Amino acid sequence: MDSQMMTGNLAAAWGARLADVDYIPAFPITPQTEIVEALAKWCEGGELAARFVTMDSEHSMMTAAGAAEATGARVFTATSSQGLLYAFEVLYSISGWRAPLVLVNVSRALAAPITLESDHNDVLAARDSGFLQIHAETCQEVLDSILMAYRIAEDERVMLPVIVNLDGFSLSFTREPVSLPDPEQVRKFLPPFRPAHLGFRASAPHSLGVAVIGGTPYAYFRHQMHLASINALEVHREAAASFEQLFGRRYDVVEGYRLDDAEDVLVMTNACSSTGKAAVDVARAEGKRVGLLRLRMIRPWPADAIRDALRGRRAVAVLDQNLAPGQGGILFQEMAASLYHEVERPRALCSFIGGLGGQNLSVGAFHAIFEQTAKAGVSGKGIGPVLLYTQAEHREMTQLQMVAAGSVKRET
Amino acid sequence: MYAVRFHGRGGQGAKTASRILGTAAFLSGYQAQDSPIYGAERRGAPVSAFTRFGREPIRERGGMAHPDLVVVADASLLEDPAARLSDGITEQTILFVNSPLHAEQIRAQSALPGRITTLGVTEIALQHFGQREAISALLGAVAARLAGLQQEPLRQAIARELGDLGVAPPIIERNQTVALMCYESVQVMARESVALPATIATTFHTPVYESPSRGTARISATGNSVLRETGGWRTFRPVLVADKCNGCWLCFVYCPDGVISMNTDDRPVIDYDHCKGCQICVHECPTHALVAEREQEGGVAWTAR
Repeated sequence: MDSQMMTGNLAAAWGARLADVDYIPAFPITPQTEIVEALAKWCEGGELAARFVTMDSEHSMMTAAGAAEATGARVFTATSSQGLLYAFEVLYSISGWRAPLVLVNVSRALAAPITLESDHNDVLAARDSGFLQIHAETCQEVLDSILMAYRIAEDERVMLPVIVNLDGFSLSFTREPVSLPDPEQVRKFLPPFRPAHLGFRASAPHSLGVAVIGGTPYAYFRHQMHLASINALEVHREAAASFEQLFGRRYDVVEGYRLDDAEDVLVMTNACSSTGKAAVDVARAEGKRVGLLRLRMIRPWPADAIRDALRGRRAVAVLDQNLAPGQGGILFQEMAASLYHEVERPRALCSFIGGLGGQNLSVGAFHAIFEQTAKAGVSGKGIGPVLLYTQAEHREMTQLQMVAAGSVKRET
Repeated sequence: MYAVRFHGRGGQGAKTASRILGTAAFLSGYQAQDSPIYGAERRGAPVSAFTRFGREPIRERGGMAHPDLVVVADASLLEDPAARLSDGITEQTILFVNSPLHAEQIRAQSALPGRITTLGVTEIALQHFGQREAISALLGAVAARLAGLQQEPLRQAIARELGDLGVAPPIIERNQTVALMCYESVQVMARESVALPATIATTFHTPVYESPSRGTARISATGNSVLRETGGWRTFRPVLVADKCNGCWLCFVYCPDGVISMNTDDRPVIDYDHCKGCQICVHECPTHALVAEREQEGGVAWTAR
């Protein structure tokens, strides 16, 4: 298997190419654009036998993606941030049609104020849409997760669309060595898409997403979606085993890092987990028994895997790279709900909010998180949400406020 | 891990240089990572890029707090605080500056603590390619030498990265040749292991509620763009040939940054502290009264604050 330096965006495009998709409706948005540019080039050059169509907006793009998938085509598309929000109502229709396309979201913080760098309020806004969600830490994982996503999505026990998430900048524009799976092996892993409930034949007309008035049919179909999503946990397990056998890399719904004898555990997602792992190494070198749990699958929520990983720990800190105003960290809420009925639940749960809009998290910041978490573990009293903001950031912001208010004049 | 930070101006090839170094390290058998950071700027604005490599998996991402080597593609950045060139530079850091000046002269001008080495890469590019922007391969070569990589992976990396950009094979070959000259001529400095201070917990500020006039992303200051001087972005500057000017005001109308004002004689006055050198005025002037002059080190753009 050949390995090469590749951005997360290019790895995402390779995922779609190796999955041999049929149709790609596209609309560009920073920091996703390189994905659709690469796919456009390959479709033009004949390396990928797919129909590539540029649309007038993300709303049209998602509508086209869902409609094409409903005809039985394998569909790929990608967006980010405001684009995902613009496509929002269509997401719910696509999952309701049980149309198992794969959508890559390149996380970028939401306006206002407008920015380009990453946090996860965009993708987590879609957490209740019925799409499954896989969040990647490395460029390799982006590519591999897209292949796994199609395999899981198109399984008869699931038939739900998937969002594969990667961070803008810290993965999208970052190159790392990526090993390209052999196309023959990918074909073994990912058989052709032959859905029984989807298709478009004049001889066999059917209507999809029909109106249902009164709660009885509606509730039935919603329950089916929920059960399908839960099935994805088992299907993921099978796909992970098959993927490992063919390609030698293993991905589970959660990933533990130095958890074996860890007293306190930091919970994170996405690319920033790499920085968290480095901070765990530093803390370990100083004799602290800490570890990291990375949540890779966000939907379906891997409650059992989380409980298994955190049972009996002293304290758990959840670092949310998102903020639900008036509530706190989105993932913290779900973690707390998962651990409530666990008899040996951690003595303290701490909630930290950091890395918003690409905000830097230094080794020193993680050091402070570990210290506060250990203290909470000893006292048995959780803390948070703690809004991480350093003294240095505060000074910089104060200076910007002075400029914005006109109290800084030009030196002459 | 070996950490290299590149500082340049949009268009100079700092990102490509970081990729050449990343690929050269990767081809040398290292784990490698490279990434640029940029906002919504254009050609000439400060940009940076990061390359990390080592034997262990690279866990650090994004901004670089402790560079071993800092490569400065444009010496005017030394004086631009917006470039944040001094971040994390210690006495052990190797600081390469693209300048024909001697390291001691740069040291006298800048207050940076790093160990400085220089090479006039732009002059070499002008001499061999006839253009000053074509320096990505040369910067990549200098960085590869200072970071201790060999010539062969560097040659291959230049071919791959310039090839990916669609550069024609004969030009790639010339880049390789000139890059290896730079590789040979840069003064090498041994890496001094950076003794990182023991980690101390960051001190946090607890956010407190402030009135919406402060707590909303809102600018009430008028005309505060003058605070950000962008004259250093220029490669060429527009210069008035006064006797050709017919006083038509078209330059004033077309200037996208509003840095041209008209005096009482209907002649343009250019604010060189802020002119970014887009040359639209030069293009639009019907009487060719505005001409483009190349900026020189020590020239007007150079001294723009």
